[in-house]
Amino acid sequence: MVPRKQIIALAIWAAGQTIWAQTDPGPRSGPPSAGQPLPGLTAGELAYFAAGISRFSEVDSVSGTEPGATGSGLGPRFNMNSCAGCHAQPSAGGSSPSPTSRQAAQVNPQIAMATRYGATNTLPPFIQPNGPVRVVRFVRNADGTADGGVHDLFTITGRSDAAGCSVAQPDFATAEQQQNAIFRIPSPVFGAGLIEMIPESTIVANLAANAQEKTGFGIGGIVNRNGNDGTITRFGWKAQNKSLLMFAGEAYNVEQGVTNDLFPNERDETPGCVFNGIAEDHFNRAATSATAAMSDIIGMAEFMRYLAPPVPAPPNGPPGNPQAQSVANGNQVFGQIGCALCHTPMMQTGKSQSAAMTNKPVRLFSDLALHNMGSGLADGITQGLAQGNEFRTAPLWGLGQRIFFLHDGRTTDLVQVIGQHASAGSEANGVVQNFNSLPPQAKQDLLNFLRSL
Amino acid sequence: MRLYVAAMFGLLTASSLGAQIDPGPRAGAGAVQPLAGLSAGELEAFKQGLARFREVASVSGAEPGATAVGLGPRFNLNSCAGCHAQPAVGGSSPWQNPQIAAAKQYGAGNTIPAFLKLDGPVRVVRFSRFFDGRPDGGVHDLFVVTGRKDAAGCNIAQPNFDYAVSQRNAFFRIPTPVFGAGLIEAISEASIMNNLRENFEIRGHENRNRNDGTITRFGWKAQDKSLVAFAGEALNVEEGVTNEQFPHEREDTPGCVFNTSPEDHAARGGSGASAVSAVADFMRFLAPPAPLPATDSTRRGEQAFARIGCAACHTPNLRTGKSDVAALNERWVPLYSDLAVHNMGTGLEDFIDQGEARGRDWRTAPLWGLGQRIYLLHDGRTTDLVQAIREHGSPGSDAGRTVAGYDALPMEARQDLLKFLRSL
Repeated sequence: MVPRKQIIALAIWAAGQTIWAQTDPGPRSGPPSAGQPLPGLTAGELAYFAAGISRFSEVDSVSGTEPGATGSGLGPRFNMNSCAGCHAQPSAGGSSPSPTSRQAAQVNPQIAMATRYGATNTLPPFIQPNGPVRVVRFVRNADGTADGGVHDLFTITGRSDAAGCSVAQPDFATAEQQQNAIFRIPSPVFGAGLIEMIPESTIVANLAANAQEKTGFGIGGIVNRNGNDGTITRFGWKAQNKSLLMFAGEAYNVEQGVTNDLFPNERDETPGCVFNGIAEDHFNRAATSATAAMSDIIGMAEFMRYLAPPVPAPPNGPPGNPQAQSVANGNQVFGQIGCALCHTPMMQTGKSQSAAMTNKPVRLFSDLALHNMGSGLADGITQGLAQGNEFRTAPLWGLGQRIFFLHDGRTTDLVQVIGQHASAGSEANGVVQNFNSLPPQAKQDLLNFLRSL
Repeated sequence: MRLYVAAMFGLLTASSLGAQIDPGPRAGAGAVQPLAGLSAGELEAFKQGLARFREVASVSGAEPGATAVGLGPRFNLNSCAGCHAQPAVGGSSPWQNPQIAAAKQYGAGNTIPAFLKLDGPVRVVRFSRFFDGRPDGGVHDLFVVTGRKDAAGCNIAQPNFDYAVSQRNAFFRIPTPVFGAGLIEAISEASIMNNLRENFEIRGHENRNRNDGTITRFGWKAQDKSLVAFAGEALNVEEGVTNEQFPHEREDTPGCVFNTSPEDHAARGGSGASAVSAVADFMRFLAPPAPLPATDSTRRGEQAFARIGCAACHTPNLRTGKSDVAALNERWVPLYSDLAVHNMGTGLEDFIDQGEARGRDWRTAPLWGLGQRIYLLHDGRTTDLVQAIREHGSPGSDAGRTVAGYDALPMEARQDLLKFLRSL
């Protein structure tokens, strides 16, 4: 017999579910909201964008001999064999694909990668067909010193184009057992050129703005900086990467194992596993045109630079459209409860060598700064000035068609995501509290607004 | 007084009769040579890169003779080749410091800090700490564009170097030569690590970057990953020219940002090479310094060099791996360095961390080209090779025993060693 009190509670809860509980509307349907070049590019810039997307989409094999994989330099260790394979949702340049996508449904491409072209990799349990593309970082080395580096999922051992190479995958089972493995999913690169062109003074001034309100919430925040020239870094989950070129060069060597002009040395030089001269990708000195002369990493950077930001859902519809009204309300709630203090709706670019990126509004919903996100999200990894519990405010543009959320892709539910912003020490605790105290309709408006981005 | 005279007499005797003396930099002009065996395309890239390495930058390209764009708002000099000059383009600091003229060039009104001399080395300054006490380590440029005819409306001040020096917070570095840099870049990590293991009695470790975890190898603390990274960083830090890798001005004070960003980028049309990528190709294809033919004396010196332990860190040869450039592919590289960082003691400490290099850690400086180097050690504190050796021996230094070994050598052997070094 169920106690009466419990029945009442259950009834109230059920009523809440059906009548009041806010739900994530889920990823928007319709055509991809991103993937186009920026408006206003010159013919020359468009040519670089077009040449760049082919580099971004190029599939690599070890020496370029695998059918359909004519790029060379894959491995000896890698997470994937192309940029666009992981940066796929809702179109090339985005985040992790999914079978549930309403634009480009596909299972996690890392599943097929494990055994492609004769490879003999074991799939770690955290890579699932309907789960996010993931890369793994280890917090500590075996001797207990700080690590933080990416440990690639796969090796080329067994592949038809890697005869004689025998290297083992990292011991992910032990790493997981020791709570030493943390995950990251791909960050989308739509509008990345605009983000790159936001002046440092703008970022610093924005971080200093609304000081009183931020202090009230316990929101601080710092910019990340690189040790080379001391300027602000802004790309990646911890804002650890300086520029699009740096981002491209690092990812090419780390995720695909393709050495390049910026990172010319293989991460693993085990004898028998080095098949090509370094740098595997380099400026093409024999080319007859400037676009052909580009190295892959320059091409990829050009693609990201000229890639337009996601287009939000049209705010209109018929007059009095309840959905449009809800989105407009949600936008207000977003400001009122404090989300916008870190997820800055807009910053402006400075003077760019491209007119299409000069003095333009960038509606990224991020301050590009680092904040303590609490023990629940902490990954224990230091990058530049970012400590283990700090993450860059993720830009929210394009959220409407994102499938996996948070740095490790732990959830697809926006309500979960907001809740995860609150844990011991998080600067967002006050704002999440505000969210929790909202009337149900206001919560739903906020979620509708976020899915309109 | 008598003691003084006696001491003087002793000194004179030693000098005239047998004290080892640095033979000094070898005479003869250096030449800028490409590596032997380059393809036509590589040779062309070398030539174009050389032109970019030499080109002089002004703020907007309007200054006569200074057609490159993007100088400042803060800078240490206006071209690569201005500092990398001795004994030829690509080298280290020249006899006459070009920074003195740059302070006032084209109407600039910079004060010349006390540590910068016309007959001293080219220097850049790093602060160990910010003035509020937080760790710094970054380069603080000597000069600003304020006052220049091409910088109307920009009004910023130089850093307070006098104060930094009085707080013992200012540390200097001179230019590292880039001869043979392509060979250094192509040395396999396996070659570096195997060599470190073989010389296990000397402590020391490689430096690594956080991006891809591979070994970094350029710069005084082996802090820079690659020639492209090195070129991009130096262009922004030393000249203030933003580029695709470092696209943001280090200072964007209103009135001081004259150009669109990045100031250097892949040409839209033309060859498609940015200055960064062209300059990297110049360094990549630049031949290493050619040593003098061995003599009996230098052969004996070389043996002493190995016997007392110099060669344990100043490794005579490392080997390149597979390179897409035939001239860099699987070659021996006689650089006289292990490319690792070592604790060099309190006397050389600069209290600056870079990557995995701590305040006392320095990369084993490659000794090839030493024969025509003028200024020695990271801050150019001496021109005397004997002094440079002695500076290796301060408290805590990994080189302590080797310096003691040097001091214990017979005078003739010391002289042979110095002659060997100046033959490189």
